[in-house]
Amino acid sequence: MSSPTSTVDLHDDALLARLRALVAESPVPEAAISEVLQALQKARGYIDDEALQLAATLTGLSPVKVEELCTFYSLVLREPVGTHVMRVCDSIACHMAGAQDILTQARQHCGVGFGEVSRSGKLTVIPHVCIGMCDRAPAVLVDQEALGPMDKQALTQLLAQLEADVWKPS
Amino acid sequence: MKHVFYLDGQEIPFVPGQNVLEATIAAGQDRQIPYFCFHPALGSLGACRQCAVKMYSHDSKHPPRITMACLLPASDDLQLVTLENDVHTEHREIIELLMTNHPLDCPVCDEGGQCHLQDMTVQTGHSVRHYGGPKRTYRNQNLGPLVYQEMNRCITCYRCVRFYQDAALGEDFGVFGSRNRVSFGRLEDGPLESPFSGNLVEVCPTGVFTDKVFRHDYVRVWDLQQGPSVCPHCAVGCNTTPGARLGTLRRIRNRQHPEINGHFLCDRGRYAFPYVTAHSRPLQPRLKGETSRQEAVLRQLASRLEEGRSGFLGSPREDLQSNLGLFALADCLHAPFAAVTSSWAEALAQQCLALPQAPSLQEVAAADRIVVIGDLDSIAPMAGFAVRQALGRGARLTVLASSRTGLARKGDYRPLRPSALRDQVAQLADDPCLQGGRVPVLLATAETLGPSGLYALRKTLEKLPANARAGAFVNRPNLFGAAYFAADGHTERLQQALRQREINHLLCLGADPLGEDWGAGAWRTLSSGLEGFALLDMVDSATARAAEALLPVAAFPERAGLFVNYEGRIQAFAPVYQREAQVLHSAVHGSGFPDAAGGMKHPLGPPSPLFWLGRLAELLHVHEAWQKRLDFYLHFLCPAAPDPDSPGVLLPDTIRARFEIATLPLPPTVGPEQWELDIFRWYGGETLADTAEDLQSLAPLRGLRVHPDVQAASATLQGPCGQLHLPVIPCEDMVQGVIAIDQEGFAELGLYPGDPVEVTWEQEP
Repeated sequence: MSSPTSTVDLHDDALLARLRALVAESPVPEAAISEVLQALQKARGYIDDEALQLAATLTGLSPVKVEELCTFYSLVLREPVGTHVMRVCDSIACHMAGAQDILTQARQHCGVGFGEVSRSGKLTVIPHVCIGMCDRAPAVLVDQEALGPMDKQALTQLLAQLEADVWKPS
Repeated sequence: MKHVFYLDGQEIPFVPGQNVLEATIAAGQDRQIPYFCFHPALGSLGACRQCAVKMYSHDSKHPPRITMACLLPASDDLQLVTLENDVHTEHREIIELLMTNHPLDCPVCDEGGQCHLQDMTVQTGHSVRHYGGPKRTYRNQNLGPLVYQEMNRCITCYRCVRFYQDAALGEDFGVFGSRNRVSFGRLEDGPLESPFSGNLVEVCPTGVFTDKVFRHDYVRVWDLQQGPSVCPHCAVGCNTTPGARLGTLRRIRNRQHPEINGHFLCDRGRYAFPYVTAHSRPLQPRLKGETSRQEAVLRQLASRLEEGRSGFLGSPREDLQSNLGLFALADCLHAPFAAVTSSWAEALAQQCLALPQAPSLQEVAAADRIVVIGDLDSIAPMAGFAVRQALGRGARLTVLASSRTGLARKGDYRPLRPSALRDQVAQLADDPCLQGGRVPVLLATAETLGPSGLYALRKTLEKLPANARAGAFVNRPNLFGAAYFAADGHTERLQQALRQREINHLLCLGADPLGEDWGAGAWRTLSSGLEGFALLDMVDSATARAAEALLPVAAFPERAGLFVNYEGRIQAFAPVYQREAQVLHSAVHGSGFPDAAGGMKHPLGPPSPLFWLGRLAELLHVHEAWQKRLDFYLHFLCPAAPDPDSPGVLLPDTIRARFEIATLPLPPTVGPEQWELDIFRWYGGETLADTAEDLQSLAPLRGLRVHPDVQAASATLQGPCGQLHLPVIPCEDMVQGVIAIDQEGFAELGLYPGDPVEVTWEQEP
């Protein structure tokens, strides 16, 4: 799955209908916020201020409450990202297994800082909390696919595939 | 039965339901247990892990264990210990963890000297940071003119967000992020919107949120002169602790009153104090606009009073004794006296007083059915805060108002024109919004309801169960004290005497009859019959600028006095500091004023109104009679004068009874096609507060607020005393057919809330 950064029209009737259906299905409107944010991020690539306001309006939460949620969950993106997002686990098991080297290599490949879009527009690298892949440390999450253990060679190959847009999830 | 547990062998009494930390703090023994996230008003969270105690079991099979005092319910014979090494190590190590990212900037931090974190760190003995990694840093937000943020100091106790969101029900402040990257603030830079934002300064146990106004003229807390005082900015009468240094007031903090404000204050109460240091404040006696020697002004005024053609006008903005002093002087001179500036305000005061005993804010917070009439937050914000606390406990709120107010967004809102509001209040007894509850409470802003609406409220209350309570609020600290002299028709008699030229001189106390007080339009016409008038006041006003003789008086923290709050609770405030000589320049103008000891060692700031009135009584040779009357009235109203540190005394119900038969003016008749006027206020607006620059920088624009279906850029309103031309401010929250204007606008027009008004809409701004 890709994480497109193209902006989707928030006034798109089909999208709005889908979001409203999510709200209607939940026991109280506020409870639908996670699903609404997921759907918006899937459609829009990330949650920009306009999407945040829309999520707040649909669920009856204050924009501050929605932002609290967005910033709490690492998987919710509040900035534009590349076509693919690589989350490199930097928690204890992966850290011990060399996550810092993976992060350094990935960042050097992108030529920009963590969380920023690479010059090619294809990739964003983000350090991430434990993804539950300690048995395959150091692990990475590419879009929604968990991969590991990674080493310099495997990462080089993965980055090349991502840049060439030929990487496919298994 | 007395309940106790033991902490380090010492008996700690508790009330069932309290936790160990709460009981220990209440017993004054909290030096033994450090804590952060617990706050008496916000409760326990168990997040900081600081308040560890060791619990011993009577059963030898169970070894002693360390537990958190804030999460441990107090129970009889509990054996707790803090003086053992492992408990002390826990305290010290937790502080070390909390201090991992805390900057060592105490010498330049505003909180230094009053910092809970500083105290606890010293108390537990932590002094060496073992972790060698970098400290995390934040970009601070600009949270407006009142609260300063320095996020790097945060220890994530969550007190701020628990206060702002859970207690004050604010929606523009939150907690962002997770783990070790948590921050507290707004979605984006900008002023905090809650009328209670200043409490962040007090709930924060360290220097993340500090007082931005105090910063302008900062002084270390140990250099402050502090004392018990009462807030003069509305009828609630919250207890405050002003802090002064070198003869100037620097800040206001909350002083806990269990029945009224608890641990909190509104932003008007906290940030309106710069009226005391405002450049416009009159500090020297003036005669015909020129600074003059006090004796010259007094003699001139005494000669006017000797003519026997003077009237006296008190004010609900001034304290009880000063109003009594003026009343006593009027009595000695057999002169007409009025406590308020218009018959409408007089009837309003009488109807407020005729209501049975109002609930304390603590009782409001415990109510389960609440009806609010008008914009309570803008008149008496702390009453609005008590309603929020009740909402947090599951109360059902109904708001009747002509615009969607802050509280209306949190309950059932019934949009009503002012005329319909009165009718609705009369029918509330059978309304479903009050059914099914145990403790119904009705809270009204007195001006919105008007005298007839307040009468309807009293009649409704009679039909409700005996435990139903009602309270009426105004933005004056002593309406209830001044109103005792608002005997039927006094204001009309004073105005009549002026119209018939029986009097040609007026002595006013803290009133602004030519400016923004109710009925000012009529007074402007009447004042043409005056040969001169005198004013005793502490703020600049239209009346002060026009007065023939002006005698400046001490601001409230500079003197002692009594206020009677909306419950009829008489509370005393003490002089906290004395204004110093250099601001008075009295070396030029004479010998200055006597100091507290009665001597004339060095010149001081303006004295209290009672000093001036006493001097006038001396010059008029009625001092003994004046003093006797003053003492008699004071003893009658308040046989045992309360101490400033006491919770105050309630006026007896018998005094209220005589207002139940007061004359009630007819409510205005409004046709369905007519525009109705309602009052627009905001939480920081009040006569004294209007000179506080930082607070006023948040004030909304002046204009006519109407529903957006009106297509006009401006409008001219026509009233019996004049006309008013203001820009139109379209406001989604307004009810159609209603125009909201400020009190100054009402004064210019000579109209009152609920009155119909003639309006000409204009397309040109």
